[in-house]
Amino acid sequence: MSQEIREVSPTGKAIIAVVLIPTIAALNYVGGVIVEALKAPIWGDTWATILGTLIGGFWVGAAGGFLYNIIMALTVWGLPSWVWGFANVAIATIAWFMMKMGWTDLKKPMTWIMMIVLYGLVYPAFTTAISIGIFGGGPLWKPLAAAVYTATLSSTGNFFLANYVQNAFTEIIDKPISFIISVIIAQRIPKRFVLAK
Amino acid sequence: MDMVWVKNMEPIIKVENLTYAYPTSKDFVLKNISFTVNKGEVLAVIGPNGAGKSTLLKALNGLVPHFYGGKYGGRVVVSGFEVLNTPISKMSTKVGFVFQDPEDQISGLALTVWEEVAFGLMMLGYPREEIDKRVREAIDYVGLTGLEKRSPFELSGGQMQRLAIATVLALRPEVIVMDEPTAQLDPLGKYEVLSVIEKLAVSGSTIVLAEHEIEEVVYFADKMLLLDKGEAVAYGDTRKVVTMVEELKRRGVDPPSVTELTSLLKEKTGVDVALPVTLEEAVKIYSELLR
Amino acid sequence: MSVGVSLLKKTTIEAETFVQRLDGRVKFLYFLWATIIVYIFFDPILNLIFLAVTMALAVYAKCWKPIALTILIIVVPWILFAVPILALPLGFPWNKTIIGYINILGKDYPVYLEGLGWGVTWPLRIAVAISTALLFFLTTNQAKLVATMFKMKFPFKLIYMVIATFQFIPLLASEANTIMQAQIARGLRTDVGFVQKIKNYLAVVIPLTLSALNKVQIRAIALESRGFSAPVKKTLLYEASFTKLDYAFLMTMLLVTVFLAWVYVYIGFSPLAHLPWIWSG
Repeated sequence: MSQEIREVSPTGKAIIAVVLIPTIAALNYVGGVIVEALKAPIWGDTWATILGTLIGGFWVGAAGGFLYNIIMALTVWGLPSWVWGFANVAIATIAWFMMKMGWTDLKKPMTWIMMIVLYGLVYPAFTTAISIGIFGGGPLWKPLAAAVYTATLSSTGNFFLANYVQNAFTEIIDKPISFIISVIIAQRIPKRFVLAK
Repeated sequence: MDMVWVKNMEPIIKVENLTYAYPTSKDFVLKNISFTVNKGEVLAVIGPNGAGKSTLLKALNGLVPHFYGGKYGGRVVVSGFEVLNTPISKMSTKVGFVFQDPEDQISGLALTVWEEVAFGLMMLGYPREEIDKRVREAIDYVGLTGLEKRSPFELSGGQMQRLAIATVLALRPEVIVMDEPTAQLDPLGKYEVLSVIEKLAVSGSTIVLAEHEIEEVVYFADKMLLLDKGEAVAYGDTRKVVTMVEELKRRGVDPPSVTELTSLLKEKTGVDVALPVTLEEAVKIYSELLR
Repeated sequence: MSVGVSLLKKTTIEAETFVQRLDGRVKFLYFLWATIIVYIFFDPILNLIFLAVTMALAVYAKCWKPIALTILIIVVPWILFAVPILALPLGFPWNKTIIGYINILGKDYPVYLEGLGWGVTWPLRIAVAISTALLFFLTTNQAKLVATMFKMKFPFKLIYMVIATFQFIPLLASEANTIMQAQIARGLRTDVGFVQKIKNYLAVVIPLTLSALNKVQIRAIALESRGFSAPVKKTLLYEASFTKLDYAFLMTMLLVTVFLAWVYVYIGFSPLAHLPWIWSG
């Protein structure tokens, strides 16, 4: 029996994004809890932002990350740490960019290079702007980081540079590791869950 | 008088040559399926895993094809609405869908059981007084009275599934669709939920349900549809389908124990006896035989 | 309250005071207003005044403990850590004005006003932001929060995302815990090296993610099947509206704003502590 077969375009992506975004935010949060419990040597609270971008596109990652920061600000860190939400947006942007440029293959050296450059050098510039503009900058609480700050400041006399180097120092290990973890997880996810092109 | 008779016999669900493939699937998941469901009937959809039962059910409220997209052929008309041309939100006023996973289908927006039951009504913009009335009725109907203020995620599996049914009932749909509602429940939960389903069936609700527990379903299912690899293999009165023991077993479906037992005994002994579908029937038939 | 309850329910403080009765929008405006003011001025004493007023409201609303705790954990150590570094010779490039000397290990070090002011004012600005925001958050229950967002013309899908996050967190946390216990039962140990710790992390996070993504699929079709996308005005369980109380509060804020504007113009950006100009407020 011959039959007219129609191609129907799906409407589900929007709703999936609506449920995926809070899931990403919650996964960021729980990621931090897991890191505590397993005493893993990373911050672990932005991995889901990167993962969200890899599977859901820029908006899912950025919104999920931003939402995470707002919730954290309200329940744990206190506002106005919500401004770090923009840092999460930056993380999502970098992840999206790397995805578009094909730098998610861990076997390619370019992936590693761009990962360190973008997350370890470019991203801290962003966080430095936030930390100075909103929080006044200055030394971080971690002794090693504070030492880097003081050393840079005393040798160059430049407040902005001191903050930047301090931030780059802390981020250059943490963010690339989060990126690697998210890429590994993204590879294990069945195709049907992936929204991003 | 004839007009009234015709009206009652007008099927509330008409499926004609339904053919469907998900965007990511190579083959068609549903092939040329046709059946009807009259008002007040209970249709049980049975078949092995992967037969397409879930997909078929989703074709009744518009998830197939609208949510997933894909290739769609044939016609599905529910309560006068052609599913292909009706948005899911409109279909949700006519078709209530209860999913298999008790916890994952809870909205996440409601802090209490009461709010969750009100969810559908809130989404569709019903006025507050109407919501209050219907939520009260629905909660009482499924037996969750007293649990209104609990968090929906604090309930047991059986309670959560009854909560889902209440959420659906509050919308007063014309058809209730259930996708293996007891699959993830413990025996107590299964019992609680099947009791509610039976109550609905007896009171004249139109239900389409996919269910593995054939033994339970025969009590209230009027018709049965056997699905395998996307095709409708058998369709008709429950008794007719469920006594096709060979066919069922060949397709990977377990017939009720008493039916299978009697069928095998028939083969072995050659005694000509009707196949029972429920335990009670079996007792009757065997007590006659053993007299 | 057990695992299944939303984080939002656990954090809201229900009490019958006027603070809880204030409209969510007014409280949110108070947070924005106070924060902007303390960022315009550069005065730690002004910050302390705002903080004190907010804490007084919090005490009355019976929600002062979480706020005090947050400030104690975030702001106090920050000040204690930042001030010594910034106020002493090495830590801050704009140090000029010596206000005293401090003796460390036998040597006298000068203490600078600029660094000290900087190290105290910024954390206190954050303290004001934290306390006012938490005041809003702790005294506005979920129903009122939803109503507030609705009145502020948030798209409904956004409201859903905010509320759902609070609900998903405890659910995913409990699932993560189950997975961790299962992995520990299979021999996972935490006293291991760097690389193994990362592998442990993946052993929990990967199953968690897959499970979470599966839930997303199911929840999405369930929401759709219950009319989530219906293009109608959703009925909310609570309608937000202004009362005399809200107007009184708003009027007070307006009067204070006018007063502070006068202070800024005629006295300066650091009216009480008289901190010197650095490079920006």
